[in-house]
Amino acid sequence: MMTSQPPGSNGERSSECEYLTLAFSPISAPLRSRWRNNGLSADFLGDYVTTFLPTRGGVPAFEGRQNELKHAVTYVANELLENAMKYHQPDVEIPIKIHLELRSDHVTVSVSNGISVVQARRYQAFVENLQQGDASDLLMRQQEESAKSSESTLSCLGLLTMITDYDAQLAWRFDARPTQSDSMTVTTSAVLPLKDVLGASA
Amino acid sequence: MKNIHGESFEIRLEEKSSTVLFKGAIRLCGTEDYAPILDMLKETLINPTTPIVLDLRELEFLNSSGITMLSRFVIQARDHAGIDVQVLASEAVPWHARSLKNLQRLMPSLSIRLT
Repeated sequence: MMTSQPPGSNGERSSECEYLTLAFSPISAPLRSRWRNNGLSADFLGDYVTTFLPTRGGVPAFEGRQNELKHAVTYVANELLENAMKYHQPDVEIPIKIHLELRSDHVTVSVSNGISVVQARRYQAFVENLQQGDASDLLMRQQEESAKSSESTLSCLGLLTMITDYDAQLAWRFDARPTQSDSMTVTTSAVLPLKDVLGASA
Repeated sequence: MKNIHGESFEIRLEEKSSTVLFKGAIRLCGTEDYAPILDMLKETLINPTTPIVLDLRELEFLNSSGITMLSRFVIQARDHAGIDVQVLASEAVPWHARSLKNLQRLMPSLSIRLT
């Protein structure tokens, strides 16, 4: 399922949720040396989220489910950060931000970055295509296509696997930048349901 | 025997048994960086003993570019006549049960042993 506005992206923060935001200035180092940071940040967010899950006598209640959630947050955060690092427009002053928010029945991971208007149009075309079709079929089709060519394409396979393998609900927001008409800020959010992780009350 | 190492992973090809063992966490940056691993996998298609075994039991993390690399290999194996592929996976590693089923959709004869 998709909506056009990511939840929690309009600056409103409820006092009834836990959240964490990390920001990176992508101009400070080349892509290759920053790449390692994606995995470190994603692992940290995965670990961090488990802090807020219930324990019994010091050990996690529902340990298997919590391990699943930790991995899901890590996977989703890593994919969103990788995309942001790859497609970020290098000459804009917008930092890459990753935001994690924990609510009673879901976790949201969202990443924002600056992209060129040309890249934003391609991304919007992908979103429209996804909203009209089935993510699972699209994933199969893109995997078959990628097997025929050795070149990297804007296939968004990472986003598709979040939907097909992790039940993520994705949402997008594209904001124009008044001072730089050739770039936009894009925010991609993934909402992961909290099933049987918080105990009987959730 | 051939090896590919990274900061957080190790991959080993055992030619005699057509087995490729993966360990650790792999998060390389796209198709180009995964090319040496895909080439190693494709070596099993030259003189295969069947089945070709992908042992992923100790592969704790693989990003979507890595999953795409596996799917490319599986599509190539499917398009060779008479090749069987077996994937060894672990119930303790969350992404295995979630993502490996997609490989089976690409190659219905592929078997997954989840232990």
